[in-house]
Amino acid sequence: MTVLAGIGFTAPWVLLGLLTLPVLWLILRAVPPAPIRRLFPAVTLLLGLKDDESVSDRTPWWLLLLRMLAAAAIIIGLAGPVLNPSRDETGTGPLLLVLDASWAGATRWSSTLDQIDAQLTEAGRAGRPVSILRLTEPEPPIFQSAEAWKGRLPGLTPMPWQPTEAQIAQTLEALDQVEGGFDTHWFSDRLDYDGHARLVSALQGRGGVTIYQPASMVTGILPAAYQDGAIQLSALRANPGPVERVTILAQGRDPAGAMRVLQTIEMEFESGSTQAKTELSLPSELRARITRFEVQGQRSAGSVTLTDDSLRRREVALIAGSLNREGLELLSPLHYLTQVLIPTADFVEGGLAEVLPANPDVIALADVARLSEPEQAGVIEWVEQGGLLLRFAGPRMAASDLGRDEEDTLLPVRLRSGGRSVGGAMSWGEAKGLAPFPEHSPFYGLQIPEDVSVTTQVMAQPDPNLADRVIASLSDGTPLVTRKPLGLGQVVLFHVTADAEWSSLPLSGLFVEMLDRLAVASAAKSRQEAQLQGTVWEPVQILDGFGTLTDAGTLAGIDGVELVSGTIGPDLRPGLYESGKQKLARNVLSEGAVLTPVLWPADVPIRGQEVSTETPLEGLLLALALLLLSVDVIASLALSGRLGMTRTAAAVLGALLIAPDAYAQSPDNTEFALSATHELVLAHVLTGDAQVDDIALAGLRGLVQILHYRTSVEPADPIGVDLERDELAFFPLLYWPITPDQPQPSVEAYTKLNAYLRSGGMILFDTRDADIAGFGASSPNGRKLQQLAGPLNIPSLEPVPRDHVLTRAFYLLQDFPGRYAGAEVWVEAAPPDAEQIEGMPFRNLNDNVTPVVIGGNDWAGAWAVDRNGQALLPVGRGYAGERQRELANRFGVNLVMHVLTGNYKSDQVHVPALLDRLGQ
Amino acid sequence: MNAALTLRERSEAEASRLPPLLARAEHLAGTVLLGDHGRRRSGLGDDFWQYRPAQIGDSRRLIDHRRSARGDQQFVREREWQIAQSIMLWVDQGASMRFASDKSLPTKADRVRLLGLAIAILLVRGGERVGLTGTTLPPRRGNAQIIRLAQAWSEDSQTDYAPPEHRAMIPHARAVFISDFLGPLDEVELALTKAADRGVRGVLLQVLDPSEESFPYSGRTIFESVGGTARHETLKAADLRDRYLDRLAARKDALTQLCRATGWQMGLHHTGDSAQSALLWLYRALDGGTR
Repeated sequence: MTVLAGIGFTAPWVLLGLLTLPVLWLILRAVPPAPIRRLFPAVTLLLGLKDDESVSDRTPWWLLLLRMLAAAAIIIGLAGPVLNPSRDETGTGPLLLVLDASWAGATRWSSTLDQIDAQLTEAGRAGRPVSILRLTEPEPPIFQSAEAWKGRLPGLTPMPWQPTEAQIAQTLEALDQVEGGFDTHWFSDRLDYDGHARLVSALQGRGGVTIYQPASMVTGILPAAYQDGAIQLSALRANPGPVERVTILAQGRDPAGAMRVLQTIEMEFESGSTQAKTELSLPSELRARITRFEVQGQRSAGSVTLTDDSLRRREVALIAGSLNREGLELLSPLHYLTQVLIPTADFVEGGLAEVLPANPDVIALADVARLSEPEQAGVIEWVEQGGLLLRFAGPRMAASDLGRDEEDTLLPVRLRSGGRSVGGAMSWGEAKGLAPFPEHSPFYGLQIPEDVSVTTQVMAQPDPNLADRVIASLSDGTPLVTRKPLGLGQVVLFHVTADAEWSSLPLSGLFVEMLDRLAVASAAKSRQEAQLQGTVWEPVQILDGFGTLTDAGTLAGIDGVELVSGTIGPDLRPGLYESGKQKLARNVLSEGAVLTPVLWPADVPIRGQEVSTETPLEGLLLALALLLLSVDVIASLALSGRLGMTRTAAAVLGALLIAPDAYAQSPDNTEFALSATHELVLAHVLTGDAQVDDIALAGLRGLVQILHYRTSVEPADPIGVDLERDELAFFPLLYWPITPDQPQPSVEAYTKLNAYLRSGGMILFDTRDADIAGFGASSPNGRKLQQLAGPLNIPSLEPVPRDHVLTRAFYLLQDFPGRYAGAEVWVEAAPPDAEQIEGMPFRNLNDNVTPVVIGGNDWAGAWAVDRNGQALLPVGRGYAGERQRELANRFGVNLVMHVLTGNYKSDQVHVPALLDRLGQ
Repeated sequence: MNAALTLRERSEAEASRLPPLLARAEHLAGTVLLGDHGRRRSGLGDDFWQYRPAQIGDSRRLIDHRRSARGDQQFVREREWQIAQSIMLWVDQGASMRFASDKSLPTKADRVRLLGLAIAILLVRGGERVGLTGTTLPPRRGNAQIIRLAQAWSEDSQTDYAPPEHRAMIPHARAVFISDFLGPLDEVELALTKAADRGVRGVLLQVLDPSEESFPYSGRTIFESVGGTARHETLKAADLRDRYLDRLAARKDALTQLCRATGWQMGLHHTGDSAQSALLWLYRALDGGTR
């Protein structure tokens, strides 16, 4: 490629064609424009007139220039100009493209691919064989044509791990197999890994090595841990640079089940530090929903951390010693526990035997002294597998000899018989408060309210290990809560009852907080290798390099120890693992991980990863040439007088105006809504029969005119609505002419129509057949009306009674003719209890507008007027016909008034009575 | 026939806007047919002219008894001598007339026929005898003549620049020549001098297209006559405009001179203007402006 003035040319020799431009100029100048033939009778007067020789008509210079430019644009366009030609010095021989292809490069993967694509293009131009080697998934390099690789480019994806030592060894071995030297372009992710230096030196031994790496560093996130009542989050970066803020998104399912961002957390890397930490305090409900944290703006497996059981919602089984006082809910020993746990836990119902197989996280035993032998064994096994047994003392436990002589397995301490009572009516001393929590206690740091007092408790026997097991004590030092580990789980004993009989603790907020901490402790499964020994974890979902969870498919199970301590690689993929009921998340970055930036040898050239995209200008220039030539056409026409300038301008303007219009979007709903609501608009239903629709529209237009003339209702121009597409709620009145062959509306349309009727809309059905069949099924329009109105929510109907408000909403009417007269009109029936009050001319009828008016008088036909206000269709004959049209118009006015004012006129009948009363 | 009908219809519409025209009678020599034009002397006719005392030789039947009963003398009622005038039309039927510079304008041929027929209708309504110059359609009265005129004018001629027909002109009749007069001037001159020789006076109406008046052309152009008999090529039409306008003015001037010499009247009409104004002018010109 030849580069001239910053623009490369693929076929520079074509540029020699520019030399012909002056010749072209001379030729074009010499040739006058083609003559135009015109008829002109006065040519006789022209005969003999000579052209002035000195002004022989030539093509004007600007037109010549236009044509020259067009020719030049064509020549330059054909020379294949390329903007931003890649100026890499092209080498020769095979080229190896090495990709780290780890998660760290996933965020910028597309730009990496762009650059590789550019490199492949370049190599293809130079005819170099290319091979691409991904270090995270090494294959023996095969040198092929660049085109062959281009097709495979989209298939290259980053892996959610760093190149492992084994893979580096594999790569080195594969490289040894390649004969001859080659140049290497290495697309680095800027993170160091084992064996990196060896690989660099091996590649340097084979030829030149060039490094391409992004300018910015990657940010990772460490697994979230739950500690001290808050989620501990920390983010990592490779370079201890200046202050930097990152945003962490906590994602999870909302109650509707949709994934969404539940919380955003701001975090700040301090200057010079590579780790940022923050605490996230969330309501348990919300916390339990979080499934992953990710760094905003990053799209890699390392910037995602999955959560497992540790933040999950707990399952709690509550079991009381006796529930014989059934129905006294407030006295139930479990009442307070239930209230506390409802927001954060799911309850497992049932007795101990039924609960144990469900493997709850916590089992609370309130004042249960003795467990049967199999229950005891089952509970012990369950606790040892990681369960939390929460026990509360009580009269029964105090009375039993549980744990008297030797420590019960399911009690943290030995108990003295009887317990003690302080501060009661029959005892000395005062009720005791709580002592501050010791540092090793899970309750450490909780605020102790003043009013928490304990009056009765069971006492622990002083044992050598008692001090370690006490996690809360009274102000006099006697243990209040004790705890001991058992297997993977633990047993916690509250030395008071779970209800308020022995202490006010269950009434206080402290109780909630204590339970909260304990419940959390119950699920924070210890990830000690020793405890995972021998377990096998099955992958459920795994992360890909971009941090997306995908189904694990048929991946093999992983040994527990390996899962926790192994290095992430092709054999141990990050993701969610499952063993039994427990879930464990293995993230790309585990606790204690460090991101180390890579250090390159000083002699390796390093380039940024910014691709300056090559822009071929060929098409642009050719298009420009076409544009110039079309301008030339218009200009030539104008010059030779074939085209009046004004007409050209109009044509060009017209084209400009029409072009956008042709692509204009069809009017959307907003426009429709605006047009329908900026003023009152009457509407008719589009039946699909153009004639009926036209008459309906003309009829409403006529009605609108009459309303304008006679009333203060001044609607805008009526419109037709498509039941399927348009929103109906904007129209107070829908005129629905019935044709026998109109389509049945869809279910959605009926939903809309019913909603419309419910919300106070009115539909005027018009069978337009003078009701010849009395709405029986024998008229096609009547049948159609029955079909159409079947799915509608229409109340019971009756012919318009003589005192219906429709008869006096504006005009006093007793008949409602349209083009036909005499047919009955049906409206919503009056309530059965409507009775005429003595002295009142009218009954007090429906409170609402009747949702439907059904008739067959072809009202629209009587209302219809053309644009000049002339009636379109004849009504009756002579004066009687005009009278009938007038009555039809009056019916229209009454109808609109009724729709708009409801039963207002009904109320008016009371006015005389009111005035009468006021006068007295 | 259809074209003739529409032409007549439109002409009737045009003519209905003017009162019937009574052409001024100047010379009545040679013709004895009764018309509606009083000759300002007593003679045969319907209109009252004067009472004169009965003289010897007057028939008793001629005595007007109503007048005579007022006194002792006997009076005879004399009627005015009335006569119809012959008016000969010549409307240019040449191919050069079939030209309109714009679609919105009528062709010149269309306009001249309209004007010719409209004036013919007015004249017939006024009781005149109207015909064509030449021998094809001698002057006659009555509405049937209108139809014949319309039919005669609905036939297009194929030749450019038809010369004015000057044969068989009735002496002392009146004539109306309507054309663009862009053809050879000597033919017009011949026709007018011949008419003047025979005592025929009349009106010359030149009908031009607006483009012929303004010459709005530019660029390299070949101008052709409608019949294709004449053509002129120019490289720069815009440069010809001034010289063309000079020539057009000279032609109008020559026509005016000719008219002045022969006692005719010269009028100019553009197809872009209303036909009504041209008809009005024709009416006034034929009427002599004396009424």
